[in-house]
Amino acid sequence: MNHDKYQLEADRKLLIFEFTSIGSKGRVKKIVQYSETNLKEFFNLGFGDKDDKTGEINDAVITNNGDSQKVLATVASTVYAFTDKYPNAWIYIQGSTKVRTRLYRMGITNNLQEIRKDFNLYGLKEDKWVEFRLNTEYQAFLIQRKK
Amino acid sequence: MKIRALNKRKTPIVVINKSLDKMADKILFPDKIKKANQVLKTVGLPKEKLAK
Repeated sequence: MNHDKYQLEADRKLLIFEFTSIGSKGRVKKIVQYSETNLKEFFNLGFGDKDDKTGEINDAVITNNGDSQKVLATVASTVYAFTDKYPNAWIYIQGSTKVRTRLYRMGITNNLQEIRKDFNLYGLKEDKWVEFRLNTEYQAFLIQRKK
Repeated sequence: MKIRALNKRKTPIVVINKSLDKMADKILFPDKIKKANQVLKTVGLPKEKLAK
């Protein structure tokens, strides 16, 4: 992922990452959270906008700040930082809407060679995990760092 | 390290911000966690990977 990225800040456990998108709509705080699920070492990746005034998080908003490539590249880079610290973690990724899940798929597709070097990558199709393939729609994605 | 080299690094440089520690224990995306747990319960993990 050789795209430009925003500077990241994180908590000490590297579970929360924060950065500021800067674009046509101004400055927008973004939050990425890795939360452990009911299964040990199985994490959900949550991503959304943070309202600095209220502290509220919104993962459904469409910011249209004109920097989606840079934002996606920054979110992707958190996966590297997170899996450096938690190398056995499985990361579950699903957009808040079908459109957003498709956007994630496009991001994966555009960087597939690079991602495959470092991660095992699966797509959820008809309630089964299958190896990620191009031009296929998925309900969600699952990745784990290669050893 | 120059900016271009920094941008090519896969693992980003992350500034630790202790004020984010208090957010780490909160669930900020509860609907997503619910969905992930549901998928875990019904689908589980990739079978070929678990078989290795």
